Amino acid sequence: MSLPEALSALQGSRIAHTIAGSNHMVIAVFQIVHVFGFIFLLAPSFLLALRLLGRVLPDQPLEGILRGARRLVLLGLAMTLSSGALMFLTGPLHYYANPAFDLKMQLLIAALGLQALIFLVLGSRPGIPLPVARVGVSLSIVAWLAVSVAARAIAFV
Amino acid sequence: MSVLLDFAHRLEDSAIGSAIAEGRYAFPILEGTHLIGLSVAAGLLFLTDLRLVGLFLPEVPVRTLHRQLQPYILGGFALIIIAGVLVSLSEAASLVVSPPWPFKFAFMALAGANAAYFEFVLARRPGALPDRGPLPLPVRAAGFASLSLWVLVIICGRLIPYMPQWS
Repeated sequence: MSLPEALSALQGSRIAHTIAGSNHMVIAVFQIVHVFGFIFLLAPSFLLALRLLGRVLPDQPLEGILRGARRLVLLGLAMTLSSGALMFLTGPLHYYANPAFDLKMQLLIAALGLQALIFLVLGSRPGIPLPVARVGVSLSIVAWLAVSVAARAIAFV
Repeated sequence: MSVLLDFAHRLEDSAIGSAIAEGRYAFPILEGTHLIGLSVAAGLLFLTDLRLVGLFLPEVPVRTLHRQLQPYILGGFALIIIAGVLVSLSEAASLVVSPPWPFKFAFMALAGANAAYFEFVLARRPGALPDRGPLPLPVRAAGFASLSLWVLVIICGRLIPYMPQWS
């Protein structure tokens, strides 16, 4: 089964019909959960970047900040991925054909990979050279911002 | 109401209002800036509020976190306000008839009053912000109020396109 065929089957599924046919306020709720998820995802990443760049909490151990940040990022991911998947179900083929959505998914994979790498490496090797950590964390912020720009473009292309 | 609506129509028809509404890129760029600024400024503010409530970085002294994040929070809010005002100019007439819009401003006013009370009254009391251990109840309550009010502001903002008019 090709991807468009699979998406077409998904579009015809009962859950997709239920969501697509539901009140528009249901979609508004998904949108709101998506926005809060993004806030919980980005804010701790931003705090971590500022800490590694020496702008905030330079005297605080990285370990504690990393632990607090990880918890919020995971909450943000759970919120964005679940609400995003439900919104996608309203029109899989429609989203598949949207070039901004395609770009967003590619950027999302890059941003997720980078974020996971940062938490894994910083968590297991606190002695990693600071310039490497700084470049990594700055790249991850740029990747998340690019995801959000591509996401905003979905409605406009 | 009709005075406000007339004024909103005049804003929309102004050179800057129509330039934003008619340009291909201005509106999405401003809206995107509003959203990204929000995740940075409101996000960092949420982190401070969560610290006040006791749910985030309990080992970091609250004064340090509050003072060091403040410039980024204020800078982010400046960005959100500029982008938000410019976007509003281009759709002023539809905004003033949207039910969530006045609520958004009411919650913002309450959040501002709460922040001022925290900054100028609560935080100046001796022993109000100990570095370690649980914070006094009024301080935790102010953090919880800030968190709740900004959540309501964001919900109202996001509801504007979904609830275009009363009824």
